[in-house]
Amino acid sequence: MWLAALAAAGAAAVRAGTASRVAAAGAAVVVPFALWALAIHGLFFPEGRTVLAELGPARVTAEGLAYAAAFVLRTAALAAVMLAFSLWADVGLLRAALVRRGVPAQLGYVLAATLGLAAAVSDRLRRIREAQEARGLVVRRGPGGRLLAARLQAVPLVLALVDEAGERAVALEARGQSLPGQRTAYRAEPDSPAQRALRWALAAASAAIVASVVVPAIAGAAA
Amino acid sequence: MSHPLTAEAPRRSPLRTVLTVLGALAAAATFVFLILTQPGEPVDAPSASATLIALTGYGIATVLLFVGILPTLPTATLALIPVALVLNIVLGQFVGTALVPIYLDSIGTVLVAFLAGPAAGAATGLLSTIVWSFFNPTLIPFAAGAAVIGCLAGLAARWGAVRRLWWLPLAALATGFAAAFIGTTVALAVYGGTATGATGAVIAVFRAAGDGLAESVLKGAILSDLVDKLVTFAAAAALAYALPRRATQRFEFVRRHRVLAAPRKARDSEAAPAA
Repeated sequence: MWLAALAAAGAAAVRAGTASRVAAAGAAVVVPFALWALAIHGLFFPEGRTVLAELGPARVTAEGLAYAAAFVLRTAALAAVMLAFSLWADVGLLRAALVRRGVPAQLGYVLAATLGLAAAVSDRLRRIREAQEARGLVVRRGPGGRLLAARLQAVPLVLALVDEAGERAVALEARGQSLPGQRTAYRAEPDSPAQRALRWALAAASAAIVASVVVPAIAGAAA
Repeated sequence: MSHPLTAEAPRRSPLRTVLTVLGALAAAATFVFLILTQPGEPVDAPSASATLIALTGYGIATVLLFVGILPTLPTATLALIPVALVLNIVLGQFVGTALVPIYLDSIGTVLVAFLAGPAAGAATGLLSTIVWSFFNPTLIPFAAGAAVIGCLAGLAARWGAVRRLWWLPLAALATGFAAAFIGTTVALAVYGGTATGATGAVIAVFRAAGDGLAESVLKGAILSDLVDKLVTFAAAAALAYALPRRATQRFEFVRRHRVLAAPRKARDSEAAPAA
């Protein structure tokens, strides 16, 4: 089942032309998770009965490996499906579509502003480091030196960002950001009746599956 | 009655308060349910019911808190949230997180909570998790936990933990404990008790000593979260004091609850009229 989800996410990513980015971002998340799952559950699983190998305190058990593999597969499916969505979705369009459906308009601002800011911050950090190096910053060895270097770079960055946020707040306020009421988006939203039907069907199916598992579990726990 | 363009936005309404309370209740109920039904022994296959209950319960809490809090935030706070999100991601990189079992992924959240209060802190925690999950989707189930961290940090600031600095470590430890317990329920139900980095190594050590899975994950989480929140709170407080007063006093929360201690110079010259 998880393999089918992985395959579907992969096919969607290939169709959207983001397969390589999804694979890279997914690997960055799933590979460390898989290695640690193997290290934790594969080597140390005291409940395991079938011992495959014994290396000092570590016991490789079939049960531990199966447990690790099951969770890695499920996490990989989760990561692949969500990354296939987030790397394909156009943030501007997503923002317009969400606001039109009654999501607080503030979410759109935060989403778009964060992604824009994240791109600018690494450049800003480089300039701050260059400026501090020009003033004679040398990163000394040891925790003290690193702490000082971190302070000399972090404080100017935070000062500048918070100060700019204050200025932006005035600009946003002047443009009526905090006023209630309808927002009009200039972006046209590509949609079709088939897509709309599919969305509703998928939402209803997810709700039904979740309810079919969650309700008996809660009822069973309460009984 | 002022002109409609300058009218205050609806800051709080009974409906939004009810939604926020319901969101907090949903998170608390999910937490209690997961603790009570936690199996002692790890089972071979991932249990779908515990995972789905964790995801739906914390998910519903996230949505309710989100709808309840976000529209009530003043614009100054709203403009600060993207900054906090970027700081969450960037500031942790200054410290070598590979060897120390801490995450340092909430400095920005705690800073916003110190400057703008518990509601803003909770909203920042939620948004930070949501935006970050665009790059790392495994974080999304931890959104409710991030909201609790922001909320507790804001409450600590409101009760003067940042003004009287000896309270700061205590507030950090309390927040760390809460974060550890909530994070453990998610890590167990959704990821089978797998953590990456040095936290994972701590869990492996406890497992090697023969502890149960839930016990090991909880111990690992407590160890990591306590250290993490101590460093995070100290860093956020240091940043709050490093900011110019012009920037910090812009926030109504800071002014009303006297979050930051007055600098010595300002206290001495308070009697004299400002130049």
